[in-house]
Amino acid sequence: MTINWQLLMPELIIILTFIIVTIFDLFDSLQKTLTALVTIVGCAIALYVSIDMLSLGMEGTEFSNMIQVDKYSLFFNIIFLVSTILIVLISMNYLGREDKRQGEYYLLILLATLGMMLMASGNELIVIFLGLELMSLSLYVLAGYFRRSMVSSEAGMKYLLLGAFASGFFLYGIALIYGGAGTTSIPQIASTLTAGAKSPLLLAGMFLLVVGFGFKVALVPFHQWAPDVYEGAPTSIAAFISAGPKAAGFAALLRIFMEALQNLQSEWIVSITILAALTMTVGNLVAIAQRNIKRMLAYSSIAHAGYVLVGLAAANKDGISSAMFYLLVYCVMNIGAFGVVILARTEDGESLMISDYAGLGFKKPLLALFMTVMLLSLAGFPPTAGFVGKFYIFRSAVEAGQIWLVIIGAINTAISAFYYLRVVVAMYMREPEAELDFLAYPRLLIIALTLAAIGVVLIGILPSYFLSPAQISTFL
Amino acid sequence: MLLSAVIFLPLLGAILIALARHILGESGLKWIALIVTLLTFAVSLSLYTGFDATTHEMQFKEQRPWIAGLGISYHLGIDGISLWLVLLTTFLTPLCVLAAWNSIEKGTSGFMSSLLMLETAMIGVFCALDLFLFYVFWEAMLIPMYLLIGIWGGHRRIYATIKFVLYTMAGSALMLVGILYLYFQNDNTFNLMTLYGRTLSHQNLLFLAFFIAFAIKVPLFPFHTWLPDAHVEAPTVGSVILAGVLLKMGTYGIVRFCLPLFPEGTAAYTPLIVTLSVIGIIYGALVAMVQPDLKKLVAYSSVSHLGFVVLGLFALNHQGVQGGILQMINHGLSTGALFLLVGMIYERRHTHMIADFGGLSKQMPIFAVFFMIVTLSSIGLPGLNGFVGEFMILLGGFMSDSFSKVYVIIAATGVIFAAVYMLWMFQRVMFGKLDNPKNQTLTDLSLREIVVLVPIVVFIVWIGIYPKTFLSRMEQSVSQVLRQSRSTAAVKAAAPAIVLDTTTKEAKEVDE
Repeated sequence: MTINWQLLMPELIIILTFIIVTIFDLFDSLQKTLTALVTIVGCAIALYVSIDMLSLGMEGTEFSNMIQVDKYSLFFNIIFLVSTILIVLISMNYLGREDKRQGEYYLLILLATLGMMLMASGNELIVIFLGLELMSLSLYVLAGYFRRSMVSSEAGMKYLLLGAFASGFFLYGIALIYGGAGTTSIPQIASTLTAGAKSPLLLAGMFLLVVGFGFKVALVPFHQWAPDVYEGAPTSIAAFISAGPKAAGFAALLRIFMEALQNLQSEWIVSITILAALTMTVGNLVAIAQRNIKRMLAYSSIAHAGYVLVGLAAANKDGISSAMFYLLVYCVMNIGAFGVVILARTEDGESLMISDYAGLGFKKPLLALFMTVMLLSLAGFPPTAGFVGKFYIFRSAVEAGQIWLVIIGAINTAISAFYYLRVVVAMYMREPEAELDFLAYPRLLIIALTLAAIGVVLIGILPSYFLSPAQISTFL
Repeated sequence: MLLSAVIFLPLLGAILIALARHILGESGLKWIALIVTLLTFAVSLSLYTGFDATTHEMQFKEQRPWIAGLGISYHLGIDGISLWLVLLTTFLTPLCVLAAWNSIEKGTSGFMSSLLMLETAMIGVFCALDLFLFYVFWEAMLIPMYLLIGIWGGHRRIYATIKFVLYTMAGSALMLVGILYLYFQNDNTFNLMTLYGRTLSHQNLLFLAFFIAFAIKVPLFPFHTWLPDAHVEAPTVGSVILAGVLLKMGTYGIVRFCLPLFPEGTAAYTPLIVTLSVIGIIYGALVAMVQPDLKKLVAYSSVSHLGFVVLGLFALNHQGVQGGILQMINHGLSTGALFLLVGMIYERRHTHMIADFGGLSKQMPIFAVFFMIVTLSSIGLPGLNGFVGEFMILLGGFMSDSFSKVYVIIAATGVIFAAVYMLWMFQRVMFGKLDNPKNQTLTDLSLREIVVLVPIVVFIVWIGIYPKTFLSRMEQSVSQVLRQSRSTAAVKAAAPAIVLDTTTKEAKEVDE
């Protein structure tokens, strides 16, 4: 049996990068920022290869149908790799040059990225679970990366405990589905289900999967861990958790529900609809009450998971591609917002209150402008990418007849404008109170942030270049 | 390409100003803004000269695919209704730049870029023929206005600006759902021209989804509470643009979307809307009467005046709709001018409380003359623009068969109230003793300020004496709106026989 290694190029490149970074890390005499640069280069090559494969239309299955490389998984690879590159860029000066343990930080990020890629291309519930665990275990460690800091350790611990719970639910769900369908392969589950027979085992398994995914992507009411972890974890890791892993969770969720369990649609669609409505509404309402910007962004990212879930609730082809497009846009704008949080901070480096941002607009106009673009995009104002993404999601839901869900979503957009604009108010319309301390930003980061901001606006004005790949990349 | 040029010239100017921030000084940036807005006005004049008044068809059309994957196109065009609103926008903006010349204390580049971006969004709203494009411009307008009020506004500016954004967004959220619903009900099209030809289902709900967004913007009683706050806190230029153009986006939306697309919904809700607009007319006038603050007084007078506009539009006959549209322009000119005048004394005295003034006419005679003309125009003195608009609206109301004459009689008292609050205000500010020592040192208008006011006064008189220039160009378009809002209702009302009847009637109208 020969293995078509070409199909697995992106994953292999990440593994190779992992090895190189490990070797680099062995030598203390080497500058630690070098590990970061190698990580970026590795991810960039993997990104290039993924884009190339997507445009060539390379598809296929490997390892006895365990891995399914298709446009869908390649599109998600792009999301993960773009997020990882941005995260490494904002981590570089966040960790500083002094930190001796930087090597393991980037290694864990690479491992988590590999896990996400497996989740997106898993054609088998077990592979998805393995990917999920690879990703989650790395993230638990990363969340507690600041060992000396109480909040960081607490965040790591909390994330580990609740995450383990979720994995338990997930695995139990897989077991029950295996009991009901006699297989864990996604296409085979789908074909078994066409034969009829909705066994209670399958249904129970399906709902356990919903709970498991609900924890992982932080849907209400399984979201309680998110704000605490985001607040305690290193800010760069909070940004990471809010972006790639969430997208990976949705990648697997969409594939399992829209492919394997499509014939149970009538059973899950109501619960998904309710979850979507709850997640958007609770996320946005609670975000209004937040004074800490990291907690606010945490609740906002919960709300955004709700918007993406609207795409699944639409349960049609456009629903999937709109969720994919939105995840891409969301990752860029969310990491961008976190990037600004990292760059501008108070003297003690902790407790970032929104009021600390007062006057930023006149002190650091470029940084404030960048933050404004990201926040407006998160709030969904045209002409930004966030607006097009939201519009596409709502469009697919109306197409599916989910008018009420769209009305709730649209009202939520108006609610969310309130707290996003409050940061803009602080930056431009209030007098400064606290002295902010600014990290010196390296040229690479400025380039990355500028590219992200221009990208967000350009995607908003000319979305077709990103929209059509998303539209042709669904598995349906 | 002409429309695109008019829309995006200001945006180019905004980008230029943002980029040249460090290179040019404050006055350089202001000059760029002035030149760009004047250029935009000059280009927009060729819309006027090239306009064909004999047809109701959209003119200067541009259409090309934009987001092909979602069925969205970049589709522009204007008719006799939007023509005037585009011109109003391009006319007022350079005056605003001039008016703001000395009053920006911080961030000139930000102020001017916001103003220019705002102009782009406003013109875009009036030109868009694709529902998605319309929505994009409609929402894009919020951010620059939000910044204008929030950064350069008064003490309670943050409260006012957030209230403004949230009110508008809450309204437009439902409109977005309505737009999407229309899209899927009609073979996946956002093209307004295609939709015009259809008889739509669920008209009542769709009408509401659109109308609430527009009613908030107009603002129609009881959605008006954001307006006084926004006006009082906004900088002068913000108030001028807000009263002059932004509010018209609401009434324009009603003419462009609600009436022609949803005749059934229009018929169903006319009694409610007319009641609300009459309440708005009287309520706005009464509240304006007791305001101690000049800006608030003008803000409430806007509520009253726009009540007239909505009343005229829902009369659904020639006089009413034409009067309503003309009154939109009138209100833009006279209320814009009022805010400019209030801004001019605010710059000198840093207050807009009526009690702080008195006897100004002795100290500032030129100012008093301009103020008098604009006040009379706002009241509706024959010979000035306000009279023509209000007269046509009331006439249309009396002739209308969509609501009872009682409404019109009550509304007409609003004209008298307007005279009361405006003249009383004028008396308290301009006449009496010049006893406040701070007022005794006031200087009269500078040349720049006179240059700002003269063009507006010219049009105030022009419309008052010879409104035909304006009416003749909107004639065909108004007939078309009325045909659309009637014919589909007739189709629904009875058997096909009546359809034939209406078509022959239309044919006759064309013959005449």
